[in-house]
Amino acid sequence: MAKLLDKQRYKCAMGAMQTVQAIDRAIPVLHSGPGCAQKLSDSIGSSGYFSPNIFPCTSINEKDVVFGGMEKLHSTIENALKVIDADLYIVLTGCIPEIVGDDTEEVVSEFADSEKPVLFASTAGFKGNNYIGHELVIDAIIDQYLEKSEDRQKGLVNIWADVPYQDLFWLGNIRELEKLLKELGLTPNTIFGYQRGIDNVNKIPNAEFNLLVSPWVSVGNMKKMEKKLGIPYLHYPTLPIGAFETSKFLREVGKFAGVEKNKVEAIINEQEKYYYYLIERYADMFLETRVMAKQFSVVADAQYTLGITKFLVNDLGLVPAKQFVADDTPKQFRKQIREEFENLNYGIKAEVSFETDGYKIHNEIKAHDYHGYPLILGSYYEKEVTEKMFGHYLNIFWPVQDKVVLDDFYVGYTGGIRLIEDIYSVAAQRWN
Amino acid sequence: MAYKIAIASSDEIHIDETFGAAKLFHIFEINDGKYEKVEERFANENNQESQCGVSGGCSREGCHSAVSSGCNGNEGNSKKVQLIADCRCVICKKIGFQIQKQLERKAITVFDVSCTVNQALEKILFYYGKIDKCQSLRGAGSKKTVTDAEPV
Repeated sequence: MAKLLDKQRYKCAMGAMQTVQAIDRAIPVLHSGPGCAQKLSDSIGSSGYFSPNIFPCTSINEKDVVFGGMEKLHSTIENALKVIDADLYIVLTGCIPEIVGDDTEEVVSEFADSEKPVLFASTAGFKGNNYIGHELVIDAIIDQYLEKSEDRQKGLVNIWADVPYQDLFWLGNIRELEKLLKELGLTPNTIFGYQRGIDNVNKIPNAEFNLLVSPWVSVGNMKKMEKKLGIPYLHYPTLPIGAFETSKFLREVGKFAGVEKNKVEAIINEQEKYYYYLIERYADMFLETRVMAKQFSVVADAQYTLGITKFLVNDLGLVPAKQFVADDTPKQFRKQIREEFENLNYGIKAEVSFETDGYKIHNEIKAHDYHGYPLILGSYYEKEVTEKMFGHYLNIFWPVQDKVVLDDFYVGYTGGIRLIEDIYSVAAQRWN
Repeated sequence: MAYKIAIASSDEIHIDETFGAAKLFHIFEINDGKYEKVEERFANENNQESQCGVSGGCSREGCHSAVSSGCNGNEGNSKKVQLIADCRCVICKKIGFQIQKQLERKAITVFDVSCTVNQALEKILFYYGKIDKCQSLRGAGSKKTVTDAEPV
């Protein structure tokens, strides 16, 4: 019997066109049917230097399935190089050319001598979701573009985080992570977002180490860079939201980078002082049990479910109900992520479910006794079910319908405060 | 399942005729994955001039449009479409956008390719053979593309 997946919270691997789009002046060249990009472009926005609605695409049809679409791909790349002023061209393949066996690698190799780099990533939908697609694009950059460098810059750190655009707060988050590293006296290097383009990609091999802030996405990329470019990496699995986790994050990064302990502690002390000054001013609101729900659930990808669960328990002292990781986390990472959920302050353990089916998630939410109205942080899909349970609902994850986020963020000390503001605004609107 | 394929070719070896210029279509019948030429169908010479909007007028009764594109009244095109209406697909060198749309409305697929008749038939038979049996198209386009074909 056919298996149906209800309300999935990710796209196919070719959703990696978002990852390419996030690199300034890089453009995806799509070898796919004309509908793929249209379907995948919804959360990217529809304008900008390159609009996702006008990406070069081979728009393959029945004829190309029968006779092969390599000729069309060749002319599409050739003309994209002529008419589009980009710094980096990444060819992404959809399911159809992969199934019928178009040799994309061969076509792309014909452009090895072109003025601008042309890379390719095989992002057929059956290879996985857009989290895997994101890894495939970064793999393509490592494999086909980057070269090992002997010239290492002391203190230069490549930061890698979760998937741009899939993560609603990607831009603000990565800037805030940069800011935190700068505080430690390190030089951050990221390839995504405003004014971070090919120059930053070129700097990757010169870094002292890679910093990965994600439960599982890009772990493979880090290993690949370690092997090919000889860059060691620090894997920090929890998105640091709020004072407790951010201080822990700074200590760990500081230790790995060899930053003097006193310096790290001084930074933490200064940041925490302001953080707790803000918390203290509203302490009566946080302690008033009637304002906030007693128990909460997060339905998001691994990074947000884990990051927010830790924040709400460790910083705000809320009690976790069941948490849902809905990004189809590969099995080999699940045990380690589950352990993170069991390692909360005050000896609290959160039960976590790796579930991709929205129907099953909603049934579990409905069946759970939240001891009053629940607090649900999730995607737009959770709005209706939360409303039926008279709960507090905040949209923090894709798909997003009731929120516009330009560069807001939840990372760091400031990010924690932003999340508190958002959650308590929901409660305040409810009661007033 | 038997079906027919229309081919526009001047010498029956190469696909070298555009749909509009083709004076005749070679009709192949496919049975159990084997193909056989069954007939030649000649396009009416008189209608050649009224193709692709050359004549400008729309000849459908009651239609006074001076523009033929997008109007179903262009008799020349329709007649040629009707000529091969019982075929599953048509193979030709090139085809105009409007006439392709007319064929698509009759669920006739157009393959505009430059290769030999045998190469084209081989690929199309493989394709239809697979999809008719709901089998995977793995390797359908394959690494051999039309660029590998002999120059026409």
